[in-house]
Amino acid sequence: MHLEYLEEVRKLLHGKSYTVVGRDVRRVDALEKLTGIAKYAADHVIEEALIVKAVRSPHPHAVVKKIDETGALKIPGVVGVITAEDIPGENEIGYLVEDQPLVTEKARYVGDVVALVVAKDEEAAWEGSDELRVEYQKLPAIFDPKDALSNDLKIHDHGNIAGDVKVRKGDVEEAFSRCDVIVERTYKAGSQDHAYLEPEAALAIPLGPGGVTVIGTTQNPFRTRHTVARVLGRQDSEVTIITPYIGGGFGGKDTYGPVISGMAALAAAVLGKPAMMVYSRYESFAYRFKRGPFEIQYKSGATKDGKLRAIQVDYIVDVGGYATWSIGFMKRAAYHATGVYEVANVKVDGVALYTNNLPNSAFNGFGNPQMLFAAESQMDILAEELNMDPIDFRLRNALVPGSRTGTNQLLDHAVGIKELIEKVVEKADWQGKRVKYLDYKTKTKRRGIGVGCSWHGCGTTGFKQDWAGASIIVNPDGSVTYSTGIVEIGQGTITSHAMMVAEVLGIPFEWVRVIGNNTNTMPDSGETHAQRGTIIGGTAAVDAALKLRKRMNKVASEALNCKEEEIALENGEVYNINNASQRMSFKDLVYEMYMGGSPPAEYGFIKARRGYPDPETGQGDPYAAYTFGCTIAEVEVDLETGHVDVLKLYPGVAAGKIIQPAVVRGQIYGCGILGLGYALTERVVRGEGRMLNPSYIDYLIPTIKDKPEMAELVCVEDEYKYSAFGAKGVGEIAFIATPLAIANAVNNALGIRFYEIPLDPEKIFFAVKGESRNGSGS
Amino acid sequence: MLVRFKLNDGIIAEEANPNETLLDFLRNRAKVGSVKKGCDEGACGTCTVLFNGKPVRSCLILAVQASEAEITTVEGLAKRGELSEIQEAFLEKYGFQCGFCTPGMILTTRALLDQNPHPTIEDIKDAFEGNLCRCTGYEQIIESVLRAAEMRTR
Amino acid sequence: MEAEVRPLPKFDYVAPSSLSEALKLLRDYQDGAKVLAGGTDLVIRLKKRLAFADVIVDLNRISELSCIESVGDHLHIGGLTRLAQIKESPIVKDRASALVQAISIMAAPPIRNRGTIGGNLCNSSPAADTAPPLLVLDASVKLLSVDGERVVPLSQFFVGPEENVARADEILTEVMIPLQEGSSAFIKLGRRKAFTLSVVSVAAYAMANSGKFDEVRVALGAVAPTPIRSLKVEEALTGGGVSEKTIQESAELVKMEVNPITDVRASAEYRREMSYVLTKRVLGKVGLGGKNASKIQIE
Repeated sequence: MHLEYLEEVRKLLHGKSYTVVGRDVRRVDALEKLTGIAKYAADHVIEEALIVKAVRSPHPHAVVKKIDETGALKIPGVVGVITAEDIPGENEIGYLVEDQPLVTEKARYVGDVVALVVAKDEEAAWEGSDELRVEYQKLPAIFDPKDALSNDLKIHDHGNIAGDVKVRKGDVEEAFSRCDVIVERTYKAGSQDHAYLEPEAALAIPLGPGGVTVIGTTQNPFRTRHTVARVLGRQDSEVTIITPYIGGGFGGKDTYGPVISGMAALAAAVLGKPAMMVYSRYESFAYRFKRGPFEIQYKSGATKDGKLRAIQVDYIVDVGGYATWSIGFMKRAAYHATGVYEVANVKVDGVALYTNNLPNSAFNGFGNPQMLFAAESQMDILAEELNMDPIDFRLRNALVPGSRTGTNQLLDHAVGIKELIEKVVEKADWQGKRVKYLDYKTKTKRRGIGVGCSWHGCGTTGFKQDWAGASIIVNPDGSVTYSTGIVEIGQGTITSHAMMVAEVLGIPFEWVRVIGNNTNTMPDSGETHAQRGTIIGGTAAVDAALKLRKRMNKVASEALNCKEEEIALENGEVYNINNASQRMSFKDLVYEMYMGGSPPAEYGFIKARRGYPDPETGQGDPYAAYTFGCTIAEVEVDLETGHVDVLKLYPGVAAGKIIQPAVVRGQIYGCGILGLGYALTERVVRGEGRMLNPSYIDYLIPTIKDKPEMAELVCVEDEYKYSAFGAKGVGEIAFIATPLAIANAVNNALGIRFYEIPLDPEKIFFAVKGESRNGSGS
Repeated sequence: MLVRFKLNDGIIAEEANPNETLLDFLRNRAKVGSVKKGCDEGACGTCTVLFNGKPVRSCLILAVQASEAEITTVEGLAKRGELSEIQEAFLEKYGFQCGFCTPGMILTTRALLDQNPHPTIEDIKDAFEGNLCRCTGYEQIIESVLRAAEMRTR
Repeated sequence: MEAEVRPLPKFDYVAPSSLSEALKLLRDYQDGAKVLAGGTDLVIRLKKRLAFADVIVDLNRISELSCIESVGDHLHIGGLTRLAQIKESPIVKDRASALVQAISIMAAPPIRNRGTIGGNLCNSSPAADTAPPLLVLDASVKLLSVDGERVVPLSQFFVGPEENVARADEILTEVMIPLQEGSSAFIKLGRRKAFTLSVVSVAAYAMANSGKFDEVRVALGAVAPTPIRSLKVEEALTGGGVSEKTIQESAELVKMEVNPITDVRASAEYRREMSYVLTKRVLGKVGLGGKNASKIQIE
């Protein structure tokens, strides 16, 4: 992101307003999805494909002593049993830590895969896996990460700490000594299941000697490719990943893409036949890695002038049996721990501990919902102790252009949080409602209003730099073939890319066709996660379009006999901005390029504008830019049942330039409901390491009737200079803010604070009744 | 057993085992890919088909039970390449994101509007309470249904 | 239930077109046969290996099993009548309001389009939502086999979780509801606002005259091994004045009659407390709220 892309494009467009960016267009995936012909992974059917079924450890911690295949192999239709010994390459699929085998010889969670049964049809695969005899030597298991700290029992040879993170800024002890108000509490944020409607699936087709093609549910085709290649002992170029339409990702298929693709590919490679693996809903719930629970000790101090002076945070992350992405979300939480505020003194210590629970991994928010639940609750408590309105207290401390974050990153622009809070507050009539709800007391109901502010750095957290590539080919007839490695998971990003390309090249949006979804032909754009699809993925598109456009300007200026800077491209026409009669069609320009040997294609490649925080101090610039969110929630609590009814949500985002308003609106509303689920209805119930409610019947995501009234979205377009059209990301920000607002609203309604999410009606009921249960009190 | 029923604009007649669900029959034998297996236990709505005009869970119906019935899937809506009004409405109002729940939503819209051409938002919520969506938060789906009602009564 | 969904097991399938044909099949196969009505419970249970069948006897061709009619002093609903149909029936709305209310907030429309009242009762879940309304309406069921018919009061039908008195070769052909003049209502506590199993459900029937409860019946679901009537509450309230105070005091007694469990959905303690809250609320509806309840929604 070495250029100020926003300004560069403006100059090229001669400062005119955009013709397509910022408007609503027909999404490039719309027709296929609305007519039912869109193909998802499990819709790719090959008649002769074998069915792959995982055989899993029923024990949370056990060594595999022996696998007896004879019974399974006798089942008619069973073609083979695959164990760790059959892996041709490396049995390693770890994401950030190399601790995770694809097929394991030591089970570290209930569901850890110990073998694959491959059969001609589903029934045979089930019967085969029923008959497979696995002998285990059970080991004691750890379910509470706090136990893992002081335990001799090692889940991994390298110990029970998967990773840690530190942030040090200023001097917290000194600062606390000067504070007039200090608040210290312990918070718990629970797990959550992605529960996307499409279960995981992968179809693997062997290609020639050793190579394989996999069509699978993934958010990161290139990491999936590398993982599969490694497992098969092949080069990346011998593996092809084709990404079909994805029925919801939210991070779940980011982590799990390589896992399921790896298993299908392994079966295909070992047996030399196409192999299909489709998870049942039960498997998807019971065995796919979820949001990691946090336990956070948060201490904040302020002076009586209303300035937040210091925060000190100690937290533990439950990793589960394998690290997968947990180091990443542990770190993200640390870098965002202050909340959207400028705090001069910061001390954060996070540790990620292995347990024998299901591994925890990427999910919308990625550590921020957990950490900011604590941070935003603290802000409300502090405000109360300072006798300040919660909004005024936040505005007093909010980040502004020129602020430094907790990691000492300078945010010199694109910091729209203050304006955002003010606008959402106005929309919600915050003051009026605060007064109104103070008086609202029926015999059984109380009402309250609460705010949650969020921020979320755009880009991959952690060691790996996030890069993105994009490819533009202008065809001889003037149509454009555009390709990106960003995956369409429902968020509409690839349509945004096409719009941006069309805008820069000055052609109608309909002339751009997005292809992609094949690692042989599409550029590596990194993962589709962390709100990076537009700000980083899209900037690569603009990078390519800019370079191509400059070359087009040169060719056009020669054809029209004017200066390069005078060339304007608009709606498929090329002309001299200072003499409109000098013109040609875009198609003719393209013809000139082909005939004159000027490359009609371009490859964009950028890396995110950020560094790596220091491992000892956490200081540095972990993200290119931050999106901000603010949601206000109005709730009604039924004192007799403990149920919380969300009456209305007022969402707002400061996400730079909004490329597709209607699509962003849909995303923000979707995030609001996802947040409501995390706050109220979604509970991963566990016992002895097993998920006890692995079904939509008992894992309750919000239905249409759970949708509260949604206010119109508030958008502050605080453009980021270095990205495509000044856009930042929007995929996660509104989700994060929602449970924070709901929790604060419940506190406002009841005068009782709960330190654990999801909020539990039982806990609320008993707390109201005056009985003490875990998590109540104020 | 031979199973024979009206499927969209045509007739389907194929052999089916008694223990085959209508969902599996439609996907595997009739090659209708729009009907999805989101949970296989009637809890999500992605397997929705119209059975004699009414939305049902095809994962809970045996294929052999569909004999002589009229089954509608989303493939039966667009005529000769032109989107139906319901599909146009979902297009206009962005009533989809990942698209996995969309065929079920569109069919449920069709059944609702056939029976109640001017539904209120409450009517819509009643009709859709069994269709789960994880992406949209339902808001733009409701707007799409209202728009479809408008377009159909024009 | 934690059991995993698998492909359906192999079974034979017959779809008789007459009742006598169906009864003969059931007599021949006994425990080896399972009757298929709406399928919305059975198909799931077969997939989860919680139910087994050598042969499935599909009743859906037997049209006489589906009906709603008022004959003499009873409302008769055929066992195979779809829940959706019952919900839309004006007679049922008028004469058995609690039943319509229950169906309105039970499962979801696509399930109700296939699910039947006979199926819901024979499945005998302790949380079956049609049971409390039918219990307070003093309903009975007709069980038919090749040996003939017997009428069983619903209060004697349920024996335990997923267990009832019907024999393997009997079909529940009809639900009979005596025509009564009082009001009835049903409410349930769920875990979200729609499409949720009941954490606690309560139905009430009451005949009030000049401010007194002449007759009152209360039934609960999801708080005991079967749906139950709360005789203590009924006794305390019958003959008493219709007021918030009497309702509250009598409803308190329900806590002693329920025997809830702790499961993934709720704790026993919470269910006990909610039994009181919901009993109080539903009695308020029938005692103080008029003949037909206002907006029907999950609590």
